Amino acid sequence: MSASRMILRETPEAAIGDPMSVVFFIPGPLRSFTNGSDRVVVEGSFSTMREALSALCASYPGLRHRILTDQGEVREHINLFIGNECVRFAQGLATPVFDGAEISVVPAITGGRRG
Amino acid sequence: MIGKTLGRYTITAEIGRGGMGVVYRARDPLLNREIAIKVLSESPLAGTISRDHLLHEARAASALNHPNICIIHEVGEQNGSFFIVMEFVEGKPFSEIIAPAGMSTETLTRYGVQIADALAHAHDRGIVHRDLKSSNVALTAEGRVKILDFGLARVTEKNDVNSITQSIGSGSSGLTGTLAYMSPEQFRGEPTDHRVDIWAFGVMLYEAAAGNVPFHGPTPFALSAAVLNDPPPPLPKSIPAGLTAIIQRCLAKDPALRYQRASELRAALEAIQSAAIVAPETSGGQSPRPTVLRSLHHIRVKPREALLLVGTTKGAFLLRSSPSRSHWEVGGPYFHGDAVYAITFDGRDGRHRLWASTQSVLWGTVLRSSDDFGKTWRTPEEAPIRFPVGSGLSLKNIWQITLGPDDRPDTPYCGTDPAALFESHDAGESWSLVRGLFDHPHRPRWVPGNGGLILHTILLDPSNSSRMYAGISAGGVYRTDDAGKTWQARNKGIRVTFSPEKYPEFGQCVHKFVFHPARPERLFLQNHWGVYRSDNVGDTWEDIAHGLPSDFGFPVLLHPHDPDCVYVVPVESDEFRCTPEGQLRVYRSRNAGRTWEPLSSGLPQRNAYETVLRDGITADSFDPAGIYFGTRSGRLYGSRDAGKKWELIVEGLPPIACVKAAFYGLSDGQQRSSVCSRPRQPGRRKKPGSARKARRKSR
Repeated sequence: MSASRMILRETPEAAIGDPMSVVFFIPGPLRSFTNGSDRVVVEGSFSTMREALSALCASYPGLRHRILTDQGEVREHINLFIGNECVRFAQGLATPVFDGAEISVVPAITGGRRG
Repeated sequence: MIGKTLGRYTITAEIGRGGMGVVYRARDPLLNREIAIKVLSESPLAGTISRDHLLHEARAASALNHPNICIIHEVGEQNGSFFIVMEFVEGKPFSEIIAPAGMSTETLTRYGVQIADALAHAHDRGIVHRDLKSSNVALTAEGRVKILDFGLARVTEKNDVNSITQSIGSGSSGLTGTLAYMSPEQFRGEPTDHRVDIWAFGVMLYEAAAGNVPFHGPTPFALSAAVLNDPPPPLPKSIPAGLTAIIQRCLAKDPALRYQRASELRAALEAIQSAAIVAPETSGGQSPRPTVLRSLHHIRVKPREALLLVGTTKGAFLLRSSPSRSHWEVGGPYFHGDAVYAITFDGRDGRHRLWASTQSVLWGTVLRSSDDFGKTWRTPEEAPIRFPVGSGLSLKNIWQITLGPDDRPDTPYCGTDPAALFESHDAGESWSLVRGLFDHPHRPRWVPGNGGLILHTILLDPSNSSRMYAGISAGGVYRTDDAGKTWQARNKGIRVTFSPEKYPEFGQCVHKFVFHPARPERLFLQNHWGVYRSDNVGDTWEDIAHGLPSDFGFPVLLHPHDPDCVYVVPVESDEFRCTPEGQLRVYRSRNAGRTWEPLSSGLPQRNAYETVLRDGITADSFDPAGIYFGTRSGRLYGSRDAGKKWELIVEGLPPIACVKAAFYGLSDGQQRSSVCSRPRQPGRRKKPGSARKARRKSR
């Protein structure tokens, strides 16, 4: 599967199909949809940001339409970071994720609210 | 002890054991309930306090009756054992629910307010806990805090200075746990009062925020030195500054510098909750979550009161008044920072529900509802109003909420940006796109106006359940006569200024149109240039703008009781969308648009460059009718005599997008929004014909 090969390229030590985990950092205004958690670990086998996000939203469905538009694209003023890299300037939701990735959901323009 | 009786209580199990004695679960056969009994292992008379005094103190504590204090039912003695009978609390100690990194501000303030409220209750009755700590506070499964052992410290523990010193010497671990919460004055052996509880509560708040108590030491002496001399270590930066300040003030070494009353502390914690949206933690992830907005100003609406619902670009406000409508109380703001372009009151079927669309720049648009006048709002977990995948469209905003007729109380409609009509038949739980309009061959050629490509007007003909209108900017007027299956453009006679063809079939930039429920075949319309009337359900339109200073404007409104009486608020032009010549004037026609008169009494007539948006004007159902409008500068005006005289109701609101009048609770128990098919006169009633006479007189 090409997706798995992509993981291999990013994290050569990983074996194909290995379960992996990424951690999402949830901003304050969305924590009411994660039972108050500011940090959510998602485990599974996924190769792209879109798949990781999809796994996150399967557990916390309230997040989906607050992060993504009706067409499944990232909302205009929301940025997703893998580490310090904003996926908007990489391959968007097709950006590969790797085991242990730290993914931050960050409002691009802050509304003055904090969690 | 198990199986034995103490007083009338049968001991059933041992719950806990400590230095001061054993706690049992027991059954009260008389009242048939579970209780807890604390049996003291040794005589509490080691100190200087007399037995009578201890009994007196415990009995005083048993007088406390507060939902967040574990109730003491009885104190007694049997065979030399001193025992305390109390409420059986099932829950976890607060100390166990504090995560290593602390708890969220929302959770902390939610519990903190309950503890502060309990402290205020007890202190007001002269009762001090003296041993408040996180292991002495329980959290029930329902999320309720219960403070244990209130007023029993001197009965159950020997925490005067001499005994502390002895205990430290003997390494008593139980007392060391207590030491971390002990105030400097307790360590110094000074007289103490209720402010020791404020200190201990400060330690608890610190612990809950940071995950650890503020003062530590390898030995009890080192700990006491830290409490007496060291400032608390800095809290993590993630703690809001306001909460940090509260904790620091509780932990002032000098009791005179702390909060002097627990009620002040409670108020300060409530202020921290302001604007914080706190969702109760629920186990099921699928159900819509109620959102509780705390520490806003909530209005308490009583039956037979007038309501104004105001949506602004930065939140919503609710206003209430007695039927006199002379003084308005302002509640809110709700949805801080979200734009509210549609808000409505749903009084069908005995409800009193508010519907509001909230648009966040960041997180998108959702439709929320409240059944308690804004105290709590239902926010759908997943957005039910959304465009089909593959359509290329995503919801930007909800511009209109229109209720179905009284005989379909579970049907609301929403008009959106991008232009589409959605309907629900289960009171807003699920929504579907009205495909007849969405699949209309004209849709690809509709073009957005300044506000977007929006469907902003939805009218249901009360005389024909299959007929409905939709207004689209810029698409024009559309009508269905078969309950939404097919739609026809109905724009004949409405001019377009932005294309070479002046009277196209569709594409008009319609701003708003209305009908009177008593004459639904006649429509009045404010266009992007042009004011029109149709006498034939929209088939043809006639220009009625003659006599107005400008035919550009946004809103149009009908008098609730007079189908010939129509209101508009003209602005100068497309380029300069402000009231002409800096004069704020509402224009009224009482002959269906043949002649117009300015209504300006009480409105600023100099330097008032105002704009009233398409849903910025509304009428109530009183007689004489109240007319209200809100401006882009955040001023809300009202008239109690259908526009003759105006009064400023409130100013300084964010830019007002929509205003809706409503009336809560008619005498027959029904509620009705201002857009009602059968106008009612719950206020003063005039003799029949007097309104007409008065009108003739004023001409």
